[in-house]
Amino acid sequence: METRRSWARRAGVLFVLVWTIIPLYWAVNISLQTNVQGSAKPSNYLPPTPSLSNYIALLLGSGETAQAMRQGFVNSILECLCATLLTTVLATLAAYAFARMRFRGRTVLFYAVLATLALPAYTTLIPVYQLMSAVGLVNTYVGIILVYCSGFLPLATWILHNYMTALPISIEEACEADGATRMQVLWFVVLPLARPGIASTALITFLFGWGQFLFPLILSTDASTAPLTVVIAALQGRHSFPFTMMSAAGVVAVLLPALIALVANKYIVNGMLAGSVK
Amino acid sequence: MPIPSVHEKSVRLTIPPAGTASGRPIARRKGGLRRHPAWLPYALVSPLGVFVILLTLVPAAFTLGESFFRVDLFDPPIRFVAFGNFVDLFRSSAMRTSFANTAVYVLIGVTLSTVLGFIMAVTLQRRFVGRSLLIALMIIPWALPGVAEGIMWLGIWGSDTGLLNSALTSLHLIDHYQVWLGTNPLLTIFVIELVQVWEMTPLSALLILATLQNIPGEVYEAAAIDGASPLRTLRHITLPLALPGVTLAMVQALVGAINIFDEPYVLNGSASTGASAVMQTYFVSFQDLNFGEGYALSLMITVVTILASLVILRFIYRPVEY
Repeated sequence: METRRSWARRAGVLFVLVWTIIPLYWAVNISLQTNVQGSAKPSNYLPPTPSLSNYIALLLGSGETAQAMRQGFVNSILECLCATLLTTVLATLAAYAFARMRFRGRTVLFYAVLATLALPAYTTLIPVYQLMSAVGLVNTYVGIILVYCSGFLPLATWILHNYMTALPISIEEACEADGATRMQVLWFVVLPLARPGIASTALITFLFGWGQFLFPLILSTDASTAPLTVVIAALQGRHSFPFTMMSAAGVVAVLLPALIALVANKYIVNGMLAGSVK
Repeated sequence: MPIPSVHEKSVRLTIPPAGTASGRPIARRKGGLRRHPAWLPYALVSPLGVFVILLTLVPAAFTLGESFFRVDLFDPPIRFVAFGNFVDLFRSSAMRTSFANTAVYVLIGVTLSTVLGFIMAVTLQRRFVGRSLLIALMIIPWALPGVAEGIMWLGIWGSDTGLLNSALTSLHLIDHYQVWLGTNPLLTIFVIELVQVWEMTPLSALLILATLQNIPGEVYEAAAIDGASPLRTLRHITLPLALPGVTLAMVQALVGAINIFDEPYVLNGSASTGASAVMQTYFVSFQDLNFGEGYALSLMITVVTILASLVILRFIYRPVEY
C-alpha cells in the first residue's frame, strides 16, 4: 500500500512539473529561434541555434516596436512601484487603526471596505473612465496609479488587518506603559513585527499591478503611459509581426513576476491564502 | 498567531484566521492600550476611505443608477429608459451568445481548476524532499499577467506552428495541422479557458492544501488500521474533509471565469467566437460608445458573480470539526 501511494505521488509530482513548465519552456524555446526555425513542421523541440536576436531586436532596436517595448517596461515598473508603495503605506495605517483603535464609524467603514472586495473590478470600469477623463487624468501616470491603488487597497487592508490582529498585544501594552505614544508603538513595535505581512502585501500588490490589462487599456490611449501588457497585446493584433518575436515579448513580460514568485514564494503563498479569505 | 509559512519545520499551510467581519475585539481592556487622541484613527483611515468612496463606491453607485438611462454618444441626450437597456441586452443575439459563452467558461474553469487543484493538493499533502521547491514552481502561473499567458499559450495552440499540432502529428494522432481557435465555438472556449485554468489552479491547490493540512494524522492512522485502501481513504476521508478548501477554490475560479477578458482578447481578438460577457461590455462601451448598455451589462455581471458565489458557499461549504 505504501508503494502504491508513493507511485501516486510520483505521478502527481510529474503532473505538476509538466503542467507548470511546458508552457513556460515552450515560449522560451520559440523565442530563441529564427522565424524560419520556428515555423518548422514538426516544431523544433530545442532551439537548433539558440540566439537572443529576437530579444535584441525587440528591446534594443531603434524601431517603433522597440521604443514602445522599452517605454512599456519603464511604465510598468513605474506604475507598479508607485501603486505598491502608496497602497502598502496607506493600507498599513488603516489596518492598524482598524485592528487596535476604537472610533465611531469603524464598523461601518470596515464593512464598506470589505464589501468592495465582493465587487468585480469591472463594475466600476466605465464610471472610473468617465471620472478620469472629466478630471483630465486619462493618459497620465497619476490616473493609472490612483486606479490601481483604489483597486488594491481593500485587499491590502484586509490582509494587514488580519495580520495585525493576530500579533500579541501585550508587547504593545508594555511599550505604552513605558510612555510611548500610539504612533511610536506603531512605528517601533507593530511595523517590525508585521514585516512579513507587509512584505506579502507589497509583493502581491506588485504582481496584481504587473498583470493589469483592461483598466490601463482604456486609461492609456497612447503609448506614453501604456504598461507592458497593453503594449504586447497590441503587437499580437498586428498580422505581420513574427511570432518568434511575439514569444520573446511574452517572456519579457513574465520574467519579473516569475522571478518574484520563485524567489519570494514564501511571502507570495501567504499573501495568496490571506487574500483569498474574503 | 503569525501566519505560518510553508517553509517552517512543521510545514503547515494554513489559511490565516480571518478575524470576524467587524474586526476582532480590539484589546483585552485589562491594563490595555491607552486612549489615543480622538482624531488619530480618522487620520489613519481617511486616505483609504477617500479611495474607496471616490473610486469604488461612487462609481459602483453610478453603474447601478445609469444602467436605467440611455447614455449613448451617438444617441444623445442622456434620458431615463427604465429597463430599456436590459431589454435591449436580451434582444441582442451577440449578447445572449456571450452569456452562454461565459456560462461555458465558468463550467469548464471551475471544474478543471478544482479537480486539478485537488490532485496537486493531495500530491503535496505529505512532506517529501523538494516539496517546497515544487510549491514555489507551482505558483508561478498564478503570478503572471493574463495577457502574457495568452501569448505564451498561442505558441501551443498555433494553427501552423503550435506545439499541440506538432506533438499530435509526431504521435500520428492527426495527419494534418488543425485550427483550434476560432472555428468551433466550444473548442475555442475550451482552449482559451484552459489558459485561465493554468493561471487559477495554483491558488485552488493552495486553498485545498491548507485545508488538508488541518486533518489530524490520527484520522489516517485509524483508516489504515481498519484496512482502508488508499482510494477509499481519499474518497471517504480526504475529499469530505477538504470541502471547505474546495469551496473557496471553486469561488475564486468562478469569479475569475465570469470575469475572463485578457485571455480571449489576446487569443481570439475581437472575433465573436467565444467572446465573454466582459469582452462584450468592453465592445459595447468603448467601441460602440453605448455606455448605458455597458452599465446594464456590468451590473448584471456583478449581480451574477455575487449570487453564484453565495450559492456555492451555501450549498457546498460545510464547516469541518475534528
